[in-house]
Amino acid sequence: MAPHGPYHNGGMAQADPLTVRDRLLEATYVCVSRFGLGKTTVEDVVKHSGVSRATVYRHFPGGRDELLRETVAWELARYFTELADHVRDAGTLAEMLERGLVHARASLLGHEVLRKILDTEPERLLPLLSTESARTLPFIAAFLAPYLEREAAAGRLRPGVDIERAADYLARGILSLIGSPGRWDLGDPEQVHELVRSELLGGISA
Amino acid sequence: MSRQADRVIDAALACWARVGLAKTTLDDVAREAGCSRATVYRHFPGKQPLVAAAIGREADRLSAEVVDAAAPSPTLADAAVAVVTTGARLLMSHGALAFVVTVEPESILPHISFAGGDALLAEVARRIAPAFTPYLAPEHTHRFAEWLARMSLSYLCSAEGHELLDEARVRTLVEDFVLPGFLQGVTR
Repeated sequence: MAPHGPYHNGGMAQADPLTVRDRLLEATYVCVSRFGLGKTTVEDVVKHSGVSRATVYRHFPGGRDELLRETVAWELARYFTELADHVRDAGTLAEMLERGLVHARASLLGHEVLRKILDTEPERLLPLLSTESARTLPFIAAFLAPYLEREAAAGRLRPGVDIERAADYLARGILSLIGSPGRWDLGDPEQVHELVRSELLGGISA
Repeated sequence: MSRQADRVIDAALACWARVGLAKTTLDDVAREAGCSRATVYRHFPGKQPLVAAAIGREADRLSAEVVDAAAPSPTLADAAVAVVTTGARLLMSHGALAFVVTVEPESILPHISFAGGDALLAEVARRIAPAFTPYLAPEHTHRFAEWLARMSLSYLCSAEGHELLDEARVRTLVEDFVLPGFLQGVTR
């Protein structure tokens, strides 16, 4: 299983042995993929994880609602951790953004559980996603900041660019494009190159 | 649209601003409009057609005001700032929209996320692109409008939405981050 996301490890991605909490979240995710958000019960999670009901409630005192909310957060963290790993060793900021947008969109379109829930019960998922997305923006900005610092040190940023504001701007653009690319075809490398060069980095790169 | 249909929509918006979509019945709208339920029904045979008509009318009204606000602008930057600040002000002060966003957000979310977001961005871009024809080649006005709409939506859906009401901050956003890429490649 992929290393668990930065949300739960104080920002450090590491290969933890699976904690009980992790097992419960993973089990809930599997139940949701089979039965949907509406029909997954605590009993399903108990059965699938082999963890007692009492232990489930000890970890998630808010019960089913809290379990589902935390499972959405868990999967969101996994998605972005995987994305970060995919782009981490890019040579330049532009290359990272191009690679990142292409991969992010492809893996979202290929996310079967997400597609299924959006088709069958979007009204249950969207409120949960929207709450969790509020944390995603600063996470992406924090990921980008060191890359912007590196570009600045190499003299590749426009003079006077505020790193924090640039990171926020890029994070907003990226998060928006991944979910709703609009007229942009993120499967077309030429379009992605144009988008990154102009809309995203036009005011940032020298 | 007839004046009576207009009045019915005004009444519906007033009801929604007070108690939201779910709790407003066509009877409530009729009472607010000072007409019979039959009259409401003749113009709008149900809640859905009424909501659709209200959205259409308000979108027309707001986009006209946003495009007008950009008209006297000497530069593309000025036009972009005018569009964003005016749009943000109108949206954030809209009673019915504010109620729905705060109390019934589940009705809005499908229309701003994923495919719903694509549709919204396309619609908003289509409506505000004309504001930029004095400054950009025609094939670029939609692209510019979409990007501005995208950024604005991101701010409005976050805790930082109020920043779009601050002209100085919007100008910095537009001049430092949004415009340079466009000015390099795409102006007339």
